[in-house]
Amino acid sequence: MTDNTEQVRRWPVLLREPLVHFILAALAVFIGWQVVSSGRADEERTIRVSSADLERLASIYTAESGSLPAGEDMVAMVNDYVRDEALAREARRLGLDEGDTIVTRRLAQKMTFMVADLARTETPDDTVLRDWYETHADRFTEPQMITFRHVFFSEDVRGASATADAEAMLARLNSGADWREAGDPFMLQRAYGDLPLREVVRLFGGEFAQSLAASPASDQWTGPVRSALGVHLVQVSANAPPRLPPFEDVKAKVLADWQDQTRREANEKAIQDIIARYKVEVEGINAE
Amino acid sequence: MLKQATALAVIMTLAACSGTGTPAEETTSAAPEQASETAGRTAGYNPDRNAYFGDLHIHTRSSFDAYIFNVRRTADDAYRFALGETIQHPSGFDMTIAGGPLDFYTVTDHAEYLGILPAMDTPGTKLSELPRAKDMFSTDPDKIVAAFQGVGQSVRTGKPIEDMYDLDTINSVWLQNVAAADKYNQPGKFTTFAAYEFTSVTTPDENGGFGGGNLHRNVFFKGKAPVRAFSTLDSTNPEDLWDWMDAQREAGMEVISIPHNSNVSDGQMFRLETYKGEPMDTAYAEQRMRNEPLVEVTQVKGTSETHPDLSPNDEWANFEIYDQLLGAYVVGATNGSYVREAYRNGLKLQEEKGFDPFHFGLVAASDSHVAGGAYSEEDYWSKIGIVDGTPVARGSVPFPGTTGWDDQPEDNQVVKNATNWFSRWSASGLTGVWAEENTREAIFDAFRRKETFATTGPRMKVRFFGGFGYDEAMLSSANLSHEAYEGGVPMGGDLVGTGEAPAFIAWAQRDPNGGTLQRLQVVKVTSDGEEVIDVACDNGAPDPSTRRCTDNGATVDMASCTPENEGASELKVLWTDPDFDPARRATYYVRVLENPSCRWSTWEAMRNGTPPRPDVPETIQERAYTSPIWYIPGGLRDRKTI
Repeated sequence: MTDNTEQVRRWPVLLREPLVHFILAALAVFIGWQVVSSGRADEERTIRVSSADLERLASIYTAESGSLPAGEDMVAMVNDYVRDEALAREARRLGLDEGDTIVTRRLAQKMTFMVADLARTETPDDTVLRDWYETHADRFTEPQMITFRHVFFSEDVRGASATADAEAMLARLNSGADWREAGDPFMLQRAYGDLPLREVVRLFGGEFAQSLAASPASDQWTGPVRSALGVHLVQVSANAPPRLPPFEDVKAKVLADWQDQTRREANEKAIQDIIARYKVEVEGINAE
Repeated sequence: MLKQATALAVIMTLAACSGTGTPAEETTSAAPEQASETAGRTAGYNPDRNAYFGDLHIHTRSSFDAYIFNVRRTADDAYRFALGETIQHPSGFDMTIAGGPLDFYTVTDHAEYLGILPAMDTPGTKLSELPRAKDMFSTDPDKIVAAFQGVGQSVRTGKPIEDMYDLDTINSVWLQNVAAADKYNQPGKFTTFAAYEFTSVTTPDENGGFGGGNLHRNVFFKGKAPVRAFSTLDSTNPEDLWDWMDAQREAGMEVISIPHNSNVSDGQMFRLETYKGEPMDTAYAEQRMRNEPLVEVTQVKGTSETHPDLSPNDEWANFEIYDQLLGAYVVGATNGSYVREAYRNGLKLQEEKGFDPFHFGLVAASDSHVAGGAYSEEDYWSKIGIVDGTPVARGSVPFPGTTGWDDQPEDNQVVKNATNWFSRWSASGLTGVWAEENTREAIFDAFRRKETFATTGPRMKVRFFGGFGYDEAMLSSANLSHEAYEGGVPMGGDLVGTGEAPAFIAWAQRDPNGGTLQRLQVVKVTSDGEEVIDVACDNGAPDPSTRRCTDNGATVDMASCTPENEGASELKVLWTDPDFDPARRATYYVRVLENPSCRWSTWEAMRNGTPPRPDVPETIQERAYTSPIWYIPGGLRDRKTI
């Protein structure tokens, strides 16, 4: 049996390979940390990640995930470790740990809550919101919507002749034959109004949706068009491209989106500011 | 950490017995009624009904057994996931719904200690000052386990832990969940319901030991919801829950509950006695059917249709069977745990005693505890959180450092849990509903009609009708659905005999973004037997002597998990029962099978470059089950139970 002790003992060896990638990736992160910290790099302001710490992080990762950490996993774990440690020390500096011997993680959590409180929700003026609306237009855009009728020809019923049968029906439909009675029964609807493109994908599959998306509105029947279900003749009576509603119509949505994003960024910045107060040393890596 | 995670896995579920609490009277209501939903028809309205897909069973951070496994996603996150947004799994990776947004979705957090664990873990709250909170969120695995085990035991026994049973917090989190459901409900586009899970488990001993029978059910409100949720801390007896639900309905808050995981109920879910072991009677059956018109037949923790021991002549019965009792390495009783047997016993009770407590339709769900359901074999993340969040934890790839499947450290907790539990869980399932439009009103009405079907994940669609005037010509009629509704009953309906033989229309359409279909089957159940009959095949008509399709030879390329054959896009048939007896009750439901495809464990093994786990199937046949149509001989129509 391979027990965990053995797993852990093998770590120094296993670490060597990902370490190369790890160092390269980690350096980029550390450069950011170095900028603000050089002035007060005293012992209290140094977070040291020893090789024993690295080994411990790696074995926790293996125990939890059952797989070896890759270079980027190690970077993420060291980042988390540094983040928690920095926040915890900051919390202690503010005296939050008085009478409370609870572990680093909970101190860091307390500090995170405090930081979150600091980020107030503002309502910016319209210029800011308009700018947000324009730079994030994709978030406020309504999808392409298609209004169409279709006549279905089942390949399960007609086999290879489904396409020929559809072709034969096309001219008849365009000269006024009743589309409601043509073709095979269809389990869902024969006519859809303003159906968002992704609904077309859900109901008929991607190939059919692509064909429809490219079909100009017309009173003519066209096809045959293939779907995941069989062959169809289609009459696309409206095909509204994706549309960005006027700013005034979506202002509330823009505001909510701006506030959400701003709050998240402010929280993250406050945490990064705290981390930046610390110098970080990771054993075995020369960050300077 | 390893010890911590795996010990927690052992205690991840609960059990309870001995409920003595009286149902609370709840008549006030808080949540505002959705104003627009009955005002008019929404876009897409179809009098012949559309198929809508959804998941009726989702947990978030407010569930105690989710929070402890690092789940931090909220009800808002859950609804955003269902609408197609990407959210994060507690292990750090992204989850995006397979197959596009769902039409309806329901957060069903455990009512017991709802939101209490997050509050205990929030600095500054009174709950965080409790010794149990310090233990629960300490770094000492033994303390964590003991603290959490105490909670599980309380939920099972129904005896509240006084200092943790903070009703202010519980009720306010319940109202937050109700508000989140209201916020995301958009008539015509997306439907939600105020809902929760009632977490009752029978226990083998007074102390709430593990290995009990699962009696969990989810409770759904059609519109307005009460200010609090009835939980096992009120009573562990589901019949007390039904009393409470009856009272809510009286007060204008229509409600149903849907039991799940009968497969791990240790024979309790469909046992032929009341909770207290007394004989069932008409009043019991009526109350049960008034409150529980539907049963969840498949989800991540296995499929509850039937078991090979119960259905030896059903070659497809051995499908995603999971029979280890919750949180235990104990196989539960088979009798009383499966839906098909319950249908048979229901007919037997009806014939012998004049009532049927198992006249229910079928739905499916994921029971995901990470806010987002894993429905796709190709993109699976199981359901609990950190304990089953990786292929190794789920046992789809060999444990690190081993050389292969012959070399697994069997006493290792991760391996043990993977072998007994997680490797046998499924990427399942979704509820299909036939409703005129996507509104609370229309979808809940479909629940009441039982016009529902259950799939193991894909979005295949199935129609099923029974009537006395149906003929072959209807199959090619442009208005097939309309005519079928006009001349008969859809799935979930009672077909009352006229003396002649009924005909059935079964019609399945593939998931346009999934696999193709192999066969369409009717499952016929009578009070003394059952039969599975192939009624339509991908490759021609079934053999009338064997009542089976011939093998269509469909296989999967195991190097790429690509199906090698195209099955049918649609299967459609008019079927009459060759053994029909006009004087006997019979229950008919449809099962649709896809061609084989790779199981999730095979996908994960393929990506890892290791052989698939040998003790689970490499491929499965995804499937759908419809609610039944019940044939009732003329003159014997039951009193209406709803």
